[in-house]
Amino acid sequence: MYFDVKGKRVFATTGGKPFDNSKPVVIFLAGSGGDHTFWGLHARFFAFRKYSVLCPDAPGHTHSAGPALGSIEALADWLNEVVTALDIKDLSIVAHSQGCLVALEYASRFPHKLRSMSLITSGLATPVNDYLLKAANDNPAAAVDMMISWGFGPAGHLHQGPIPGNSIARVGYTTMWRNSPRALAADLHACNDYRNGKAAAAAVQCPVQVIIAGKDRMAPAKATATLVEHLPDPVVARISESGHMLPLEVPDQCRTLLKDFIFLHNPASQA
Amino acid sequence: MSEFLKFDTLSLHAGQTVDPVYGARAAPIYQTTSYVFPDTDTASSIFNLERGGHAYSRITNPTVGVLEQRIAALEGGSAAVCTASGMAATFCAITAILGQGDHIVASTQMYGGNISLMKNTLPRFGITTTFFDPTDIDACRNAIRDNTRLIYGELIGNPGLDILDLEAIANIGAEHHIPFMVDATFNTPYLCRCLDYGANMTIHSVTKWMGGHGNAIGGVVVDGGNFDWGASDKYPTITAPYAPFSGINLWEEFGPSAFATRIRAEAMRDIGPSMSPMNAFLLLQGIETLSLRMDRHMSNTAAMLEFLQNHEQVSWVNHPNLPGHRSHRLAQKYLPKGAGSIISFGVKGGRDAGKAFIENVELASHLANVGDAKTLVIHPATTTHSRIDAGALQAAGITEDMVRLSVGLEDIADIKADFETGFRAAARLAKG
Repeated sequence: MYFDVKGKRVFATTGGKPFDNSKPVVIFLAGSGGDHTFWGLHARFFAFRKYSVLCPDAPGHTHSAGPALGSIEALADWLNEVVTALDIKDLSIVAHSQGCLVALEYASRFPHKLRSMSLITSGLATPVNDYLLKAANDNPAAAVDMMISWGFGPAGHLHQGPIPGNSIARVGYTTMWRNSPRALAADLHACNDYRNGKAAAAAVQCPVQVIIAGKDRMAPAKATATLVEHLPDPVVARISESGHMLPLEVPDQCRTLLKDFIFLHNPASQA
Repeated sequence: MSEFLKFDTLSLHAGQTVDPVYGARAAPIYQTTSYVFPDTDTASSIFNLERGGHAYSRITNPTVGVLEQRIAALEGGSAAVCTASGMAATFCAITAILGQGDHIVASTQMYGGNISLMKNTLPRFGITTTFFDPTDIDACRNAIRDNTRLIYGELIGNPGLDILDLEAIANIGAEHHIPFMVDATFNTPYLCRCLDYGANMTIHSVTKWMGGHGNAIGGVVVDGGNFDWGASDKYPTITAPYAPFSGINLWEEFGPSAFATRIRAEAMRDIGPSMSPMNAFLLLQGIETLSLRMDRHMSNTAAMLEFLQNHEQVSWVNHPNLPGHRSHRLAQKYLPKGAGSIISFGVKGGRDAGKAFIENVELASHLANVGDAKTLVIHPATTTHSRIDAGALQAAGITEDMVRLSVGLEDIADIKADFETGFRAAARLAKG
């Protein structure tokens, strides 16, 4: 669906059901260079279980009007504007990678509607190496290659995937590539510049779930340990065989974890 | 730097998870119609496209799934759907996006089955086709109409062997917002990945070089994931709600694999041209050695070109690797490893001499197939293209003396010796 936020068009998928703010809402936030397609299976699962789902394309990404926002703080403000524009009352956020930084910042500043937060493969900060940053500016094709190569674990590199016939790595590649070349660069700079993770984590008031990937080369164990250390009583799960793109690589295990957590903390009528 | 697995590694490993129960290294043959669901929630979520998984082998099967993901990986596509044959792949791919009142622009140089499908069968369903000479880009452009929804061609035309200018045709498609589908059977992804040059989907008869052993019929559609279906309202089967799946919008929810998902959700379910698990297994064995076989096909083809060009019983030889071929420049651009292992040539003495040649070779098999490990010969005018009218035959570049040769993997000296036997018989006939 399309809706306006401060006069700019925003696109979001709703998991195959019309958006309904009278239900508990789950917002899914993608990582750098990603869009709504990252969450297809998960969104559909919750939408058909009495939740209302929103997978928005961030400004300047795929179907949403630009430009891309250049900081995590600006993206958190934009997320609050989305929540306000759609008059969302009971909110759970599921976020991946860069989306986790946005979720942390949002949770620390706009806590009153947030019932739960699930953070997948992230640290408190996401420093980006200079080589990737430079490529994102000057050679987007090379930057997308690096994101896909480093992002996926063994299943991605072997073009496996949970949907018969689909190559998750190529789906990821095409999704990132069809975005505006500026979107990935803006995302990576926003990640690299973000410094408020520690304070934001300490200010989180809602139940938090952290899902860690054992073969993550983009948010390695040391980074995720720092996140866990600074959050108040997070529920931590680790999926050893996955790479950074965990929701795509092991969606069944990921969905089970999300379901158990969200059904508990932001129950819909059947949960 | 980024690191991706290379072609030969993907040929052996892509798409396969080692069997978690017994550790079988080869992809197991899951010869089953259906799958036990652990609970009702899992069952309903598979049917509702909330999770991957298998319900019924007409739609998906684990062995076939390995083959699909392997081919998607080799082609650089986002998804692939295997079918019972190459023709089934073509039909499913076309009808996934075209319907009553829609129009195709297609090359004249295609397999006779493709031409017949577009000329005779699809019009009964309200889909018409305008054919264009693949060497005339303007003819392609001029054939586009308001209701054109697809541009279709074979990279290496059959049997004239003219090469389609992929980038030029893709640009025409992009200008008019029409997807470009390429039958890549003759080239395989080892010789050319058409998606890299702007094609939006590829089709293969995997019966041919991909399988390579002449023991299993199969087809595949590869979704390049690189066409913006949502940029216009021309493709409602992808962008409008699809009632059988709770009004799902495939473009919104599946993005780069929406086209493949439509084929899976509609054609495989409602029409059912599924590939058997046994065939998928055999085809996987073939793909494991694709690059090795294609290199040998190319070296044997180069040797046969030299042999035929210098043979006194041969009136003409046609192959894009020959400098005099009108597609030679395009062959060098798109097919630097070699422009396939099909050679067409004329036997001096015309139709009867050609017949004598075919009936006297022994190692080369006279049959209606190409891309086998074994050398094959056929007379197209009386077999594969026999149901095409004289005009279309001429447009496809087929003459009565033409022999089509599919160069196999035998020792090149034995192939040459066998051909000498055939040519001697043709010469005896010519002398009367």
